[in-house]
Amino acid sequence: MAHTHVPTLQDTRTTLDGLGPRVFGTSLAIGVVGMLAAFGLGSAQGDNLKQFAFAYVLNFAFFLGVSLGALIFIGIMYVTRASWNVVIRRLAEVMAAVTPLLALLAIPVILLAGRVYGWMDPAIAHSHAMAHKVGYLNQGAFTLRWAIYFIVWSGYSLFYWRSSVAQDKTGDLKITRRFENLSGFALMATAICTALASFDLVMSIDPLWSSTMFGVYYFSGSFVSFFAVLTLVTMGLQNSGRLTRIVSAEHFHDYGKLMFGFTFFWGYIAYSQYMLYWYANIPEETAWYLMRSTHGWGKVGLATLFCTFALPFCGLVSRWAKRNRKVMAFWAMWIIVAQWLNLYWVIMPEYSEHAMFSPAAVALFLGIGGLWFAGVTRLAMGNSLVPTRDPRLDESLRFENA
Amino acid sequence: MSATPRNGALHALMTDFESPSQFMQACVKVRDAGYRHWDAHSPFPVHGMDDAMGIRGTRLPWIVLVGGITGFSAALLMQWWMNAVDYPYVISGKPLLGLPANFPVIFELTVLFSAFACFFGMWGLNGMPRWHHPLLANDRFRRASQDRFYVVIEARDPKFDSERTRAFLASLGGAVVEEVREIVEA
Repeated sequence: MAHTHVPTLQDTRTTLDGLGPRVFGTSLAIGVVGMLAAFGLGSAQGDNLKQFAFAYVLNFAFFLGVSLGALIFIGIMYVTRASWNVVIRRLAEVMAAVTPLLALLAIPVILLAGRVYGWMDPAIAHSHAMAHKVGYLNQGAFTLRWAIYFIVWSGYSLFYWRSSVAQDKTGDLKITRRFENLSGFALMATAICTALASFDLVMSIDPLWSSTMFGVYYFSGSFVSFFAVLTLVTMGLQNSGRLTRIVSAEHFHDYGKLMFGFTFFWGYIAYSQYMLYWYANIPEETAWYLMRSTHGWGKVGLATLFCTFALPFCGLVSRWAKRNRKVMAFWAMWIIVAQWLNLYWVIMPEYSEHAMFSPAAVALFLGIGGLWFAGVTRLAMGNSLVPTRDPRLDESLRFENA
Repeated sequence: MSATPRNGALHALMTDFESPSQFMQACVKVRDAGYRHWDAHSPFPVHGMDDAMGIRGTRLPWIVLVGGITGFSAALLMQWWMNAVDYPYVISGKPLLGLPANFPVIFELTVLFSAFACFFGMWGLNGMPRWHHPLLANDRFRRASQDRFYVVIEARDPKFDSERTRAFLASLGGAVVEEVREIVEA
């Protein structure tokens, strides 16, 4: 075409060379300092690390969600044979492929379970209401399930990442075909494990309460967080002179559409879960919401309603916003804070009946986040940031929104 | 079979191209020549065409926004009036105006009104409905749905001058410049 120049990979830098070690070192340092600070703050509470444990579960759930969002995103892209995403897919691949690191980070969750989970409390575990649940909610089964989840997640995410990197060298089209054939199963297995993990990790803190929607509630929030993180990572790379030109306003427009769509989806799920319990008004079901709407937590809940749903919905609805880098950067940062705040509202009331601020939770955001980002950076080093020989790369470079 | 009357007033001048790249270059030239009432027709979407034609963003989102706000307010007002004012009725111990119970209807009407605004707003902006168009009576134009690319400049354009526009179109490198006539009722 006369007026349009289709960018090529030669137009920009597509490796982390020169940047990787610095980012890796900085993230690792932030992670370690954050962990130590959180441990110090937690110990200073004098509550036998109870607040630390809750804060740990909160931040582990957040970053696990980002990686699972990446894994599910890759699966959807192959199942739909989408091409627009190819130029940024490697970023999702490395974000998903840190799941083995998250498996290590899950060990404290299992070790600290006694401080967090109601079913570890003998008084609750032996109550009549738990009679049919103790066979599922006990430390042995909990640990075994986490092992299975991580085998499934790591298996798929490493498979995607390794095969995709291998395709950079061989250009083998069979790899793409294999991805397309297996992604349906990958999505099903990942979805089941994600839903069950959200029950184990977050919902079972109060083992007497249950919501069949909780899995999709956790997934939808995590998926929005993933797109927000992906947006910021892509912009960060572009600010360092990488992936410039090849990732265009068209790709950011799609990030924006997905962030907008799943922000609404999250709101829809959160509302549906609330409305059914509100309407049925059965004490054992409303207890969970009662705890989160009294003693100051109601204000936090209202804040998440607006911060997580209403404001980003209005902010991202316009096409102009989705194609404007500054606006997108703002909402991506906003969404990360808001989704984190929502998890805070879901998890922390079980620790304290009265609304409270936990500095340990913020320190652990930096701690787990730093280690997570160091892991992502480490995986991204040494290979191209773009799947250079993916058969749909050219379509992705030419991509324009209709 | 063409019994189409062609004796109406001049509606437009038209030229056609065999390849999308020629077509796109021609569109850029028409845009730069300052014409406003003109159009480009192709059998499939040509990427980059909006820029080449200088088409500005559509106003449709604003119409949809108004539709959505109307639906939202109508649903809320309706439920408030019906259940809390006109016929107060306690249902399973819920407040007369219980927002969680009202939201499904608010959501549905917001979507419905937005969809209507989008669908019919698009009609309005595209000048629909209309039963016929002079171009559709032109035999040469038939290949617009197969393998030809057309640039059409309408006579109502302020810059239109039958001689100069004809020469301009001829200079674009298309096959022929053809007159499109208004349809006259028999």
